[in-house]
Amino acid sequence: MKFPPLKIYALAYLLFLYAPILLLPLFAFNDGTIIAFPLKGFTTGWFAKMAENDTLRHALSNSLIIALTSSAGATILAVFAARASTRYRFRAKGSIMGLIMLPMVLPDILMGMSLLLVMLEVLRVNLSIGTVILGHVIISLPYAIAVLQTAFATLDQSLEEAAVDLGETRIGTFRLIVLPLVMPGIISAFLISFTISLDEFIVAFFLAGNQPTLPTYIFSQLRFPSSIPVIMALGTCLVAASIVLLSVAEFFRRRGLKRTGAKDTGGFL
Amino acid sequence: MTTQPMIAFREVHKYYGDYHALRGITAEIRPGEFFSLLGPSGCGKTTLLRTIAGFEDISSGAVLIDGRDMAGVPANKRPTNMVFQSYAIFPHLSVAQNVGFGLRRDTRSKGEKAKLVEEALEMVGLKGYGARAAHALSGGQRQRVALARALILKPKVLLLDEPLSALDRKIREQMQVELIKLQREVGITFVLVTHDQEEALVMSDRIAVMFEGEIAQLADPETLYRRPNSRRVADFIGVMNFLPATVTGERGDTITAEVAGLGALEVARSQVSLAPAGDQAAVGFRPETLTLLYEGQQAGDREAQGVIDEVVYYGDMTYYDVRLDGMERPVRISMRNVFGRPVLDVGTRTRVAWSPGALVLFR
Repeated sequence: MKFPPLKIYALAYLLFLYAPILLLPLFAFNDGTIIAFPLKGFTTGWFAKMAENDTLRHALSNSLIIALTSSAGATILAVFAARASTRYRFRAKGSIMGLIMLPMVLPDILMGMSLLLVMLEVLRVNLSIGTVILGHVIISLPYAIAVLQTAFATLDQSLEEAAVDLGETRIGTFRLIVLPLVMPGIISAFLISFTISLDEFIVAFFLAGNQPTLPTYIFSQLRFPSSIPVIMALGTCLVAASIVLLSVAEFFRRRGLKRTGAKDTGGFL
Repeated sequence: MTTQPMIAFREVHKYYGDYHALRGITAEIRPGEFFSLLGPSGCGKTTLLRTIAGFEDISSGAVLIDGRDMAGVPANKRPTNMVFQSYAIFPHLSVAQNVGFGLRRDTRSKGEKAKLVEEALEMVGLKGYGARAAHALSGGQRQRVALARALILKPKVLLLDEPLSALDRKIREQMQVELIKLQREVGITFVLVTHDQEEALVMSDRIAVMFEGEIAQLADPETLYRRPNSRRVADFIGVMNFLPATVTGERGDTITAEVAGLGALEVARSQVSLAPAGDQAAVGFRPETLTLLYEGQQAGDREAQGVIDEVVYYGDMTYYDVRLDGMERPVRISMRNVFGRPVLDVGTRTRVAWSPGALVLFR
């Protein structure tokens, strides 16, 4: 390296970014209730305790249900929106797309408050994981659309015309040509929506009623020092799951690139 | 010929909002013909091609294919297939899957379809390429896959949208010859869109030259080249020298025009074409209809004298810009570089032979 200060800065930056995450497994395997050095000894007891915790399991299953359904919903809606915005011209397209994308920059607390008001006073429905799913579809939709717009925009329109020219119907063309070619985009959109939903706190806190989700459960447990090592164990599991998920996503992305011979323009890893 | 045209355009108009893209196209394309739509970009040639395929609705008029009005017939139900400018090869499918794509709705057995695909690939010189990934092919190979894919359905008309423009010159010239051969072999009507006048001249039975949404001239290549019906067509196809002329007399079928440097010319009425309104009359010469005379050579019909202004050497040909005595601007003359004929230098005084039969009078 010709310029050490920059190298040092880069290392310090990475350390600042990832050191806190590295603390999670460190204390998850530490045989002691107090989160402090020096470490006491090695144990897997916290993981066992975590597995026995019914509320946690309930929160986890809630979160997974919410994340899976809301990201599926957001991705399907985003396919329609992205397709419409890249292929068709229609009245007030700019304003419509702008309004759809707005939740991206709108503070989540506004979304949470106004949705709570709508659910309770306008629609008069009971708060449940269903209301959280609705909220999460709205907040993850703009991200899913942003990803899919790129995927649809880079699709050569003459590919669709060629399929129609060769006798396919519009629907058949979409299924046989468009869908396979934007599939990497669909997977990315789904994963982004999934992660947004999984760690979303504010909207879930407002709309879940008495149902716990993973973030709201973790937050509620931080008040009790004795349950912190279990949270550490949970965090460790989440980190491991994220790494696996990203690796799988990257594997499919690269395989997709290889199959269509497109240039690699950078991905997650 | 009294046979029914394969394609007939009747007063076809197309508007994009206020933009008048096609302005009353009326033309007929004969069965089995290699037909080209030639013109500069934005002249409407691609739009016209896409009205045949069914990708563009027309604002008024009618497009008939094999006698049947295509109004309301969607692109997937028309007896036409298209080779796209970008080739539009499906990148996620193999070569064989690409070529066989149009057979998906066919009721024939798998084995029969596979045989058809193999035949189509053999026809375009890609035998044994079926299992390859389509995205791994070269430009020329993609072109062939696109052709095989379009021809496997045995369409009545094959539409080609600037199919050779993305290829290197060598491959392009090779493909031109192959396309002509292929067209003769399959006997299908080909309609080619191109902005390359040379390509159109080489490949077509007939050419429609288009400007600004209208057909300016529809003729066979030789007529188009020798007797352009307007100065604009003459300018677009090849090189033509224009010399200002003054019409001095008309008698029966003969018109007399005075050209500075060439003197008084008598031309037949069949040699008269359109000049833009208000423009001065002019006579037009192709560069190869004039000849430099070397020492001792005898003149043809007429002879003029001048000085060589510029020499452009092309290997097989040399272009000379010659300023004839009494003329303001030099004329371009092309000479074939036959063995033993020296290339002349700039500034050489030379004699030029020409024939009144080879010229066109624009008025």
